[in-house]
Amino acid sequence: MTPTLPADLVLMLLADARLPTAGHTQSAGLEPAVTHGLQSAEVADYIALRLRTVTRVEAATAVVALHHVRQGLPLDDVETAWAARTPSAALRATSRSMARAMLRVVRRLWPDDPSVRALAPGVSRAVVLAAVADACGLAPVALARLVGYDDVQTVASAALKLLPLDPADVSAWVLDALPLVDRLALEVAPLTLPGSIPASGAPQIEAWAESHAATTRRLFSA
Amino acid sequence: MPETPTTADRALRIGICGPVGTGKSSLIAMLCGELASTLRLAVITNDIYTDEDARYLRSAGVLEPERIRAVETGACPHTAIRDDITANLLAVDQLEEDFAPLDIVMVESGGDNLTATFSPALVDTQIFIIDVAGGGDVARKGGPGITRADLLIVNKTDLAPYVGVDPVLMVADASEVRDGRPVIALSRGDRASVTALTDWVQTQLVAHRSGILVPADPGPMAPHSHDDGTLHVHHEGDDAHQHAHS
Ligand SMILES: Nc1nc2c(ncn2[C@@H]2O[C@H](COP(=O)(O)OP(=O)(O)OP(=O)(O)O)[C@@H](O)[C@H]2O)c(=O)[nH]1
Ligand SMILES: [Mg+2]
Repeated sequence: MTPTLPADLVLMLLADARLPTAGHTQSAGLEPAVTHGLQSAEVADYIALRLRTVTRVEAATAVVALHHVRQGLPLDDVETAWAARTPSAALRATSRSMARAMLRVVRRLWPDDPSVRALAPGVSRAVVLAAVADACGLAPVALARLVGYDDVQTVASAALKLLPLDPADVSAWVLDALPLVDRLALEVAPLTLPGSIPASGAPQIEAWAESHAATTRRLFSA
Repeated sequence: MPETPTTADRALRIGICGPVGTGKSSLIAMLCGELASTLRLAVITNDIYTDEDARYLRSAGVLEPERIRAVETGACPHTAIRDDITANLLAVDQLEEDFAPLDIVMVESGGDNLTATFSPALVDTQIFIIDVAGGGDVARKGGPGITRADLLIVNKTDLAPYVGVDPVLMVADASEVRDGRPVIALSRGDRASVTALTDWVQTQLVAHRSGILVPADPGPMAPHSHDDGTLHVHHEGDDAHQHAHS
């Protein structure tokens, strides 16, 4: 634990795209969405949709995992609950490879933290983030905000690569999404049981993720 | 947690970098053809928006297709080899795990501009490739790859007469800015130049295995860092400053 650091500084570090976690390889599903016809004017809706569905699953999983870490409970049930609510094998593989990327830097930043050291290979990204939140003394609601915010910014920055947009307009969409991120965080923050993680998948996003994993023409890994 | 092997125990990692179309994939295919019978090789490609390079290399039939993997860079080829090398490092680690033991892993950067070079945390040694078709003055323009990559290749010398470039002069210009670092004028049809290239690779491999190969950073446009905390006087300017410890 490094509780002496203010939570907002830790959050800035973790939410910063300059943290080397291969964030530039991700579009949060936007690339296949655009391939299948999503237009510039629909990006804000796409962001909101993710916050209600797949990102909600991830944020809730992270919060429940954090509870388990802090109570010394095993993480297997959390991992299983997340996998059961993430039916796309491609989305699960993406989460696990982002977790590996995150782990590389996290092990360098908090080498002695027991929660970080205890992480098994092959865990999902939400579980790695939970261990980091524990290492930094982050509250569950802050962790959930981080998951939501990161997803919004991932879509936003990928949108600038994929669609003809003014970066300032895209920043405005991010600002507009912040209340949605906050609402999501407040809703999932009290969760503690794996069974309480919402099963709020988005079949279309999952189907697109599957088709993207099979294509040979793509800018983003997912 | 498994012990991280020392650098000399794992494969030599060679980065291949340079502007679009100068011959990075061809050079990798050539090296595979020359070396695959005696060394265990694998390749990572950083394609911009297809796995074109990986497919070209697989179809060249010089290496088992599974040993050639493509990494997506999210339209940031420069970032992927320099300031966030995570995706590449994970791919290299995975290849080494899947095909252990490997002797050499080659990493092809996405075709970029003259400023792109590999982070020394990703590769042990790096080759920068320009070609005669890009113009005779490219070598004089310099940039970190041209001046400080471990090896500079001036490729496609067979095309020199068609593009009005004197390859001897181009190599001389390059050598002048490189402070004695090696330059090879290469053409796939010129056997002696191919041998010079494979000899260089073998020398790097020997140095790597004996633990004396220290990854050098060609660096950004600014002068390079030795990263050993010593004072470093720049040739270009008259200022001297302390480089940061890592
Ligand atoms: N004449 C001649 N052509 C060459 C030589 N080496 C490569 N080429 C050709 O140069 C073209 C580009 O080669 P690649 O190996 O694809 O170049 P690259 O740097 O990998 O290209 P990108 O990955 O797109 O940046 C191809 O048409 C090659 O056949 C050479 O020695 N002589
Ligand atoms: Mg190529």
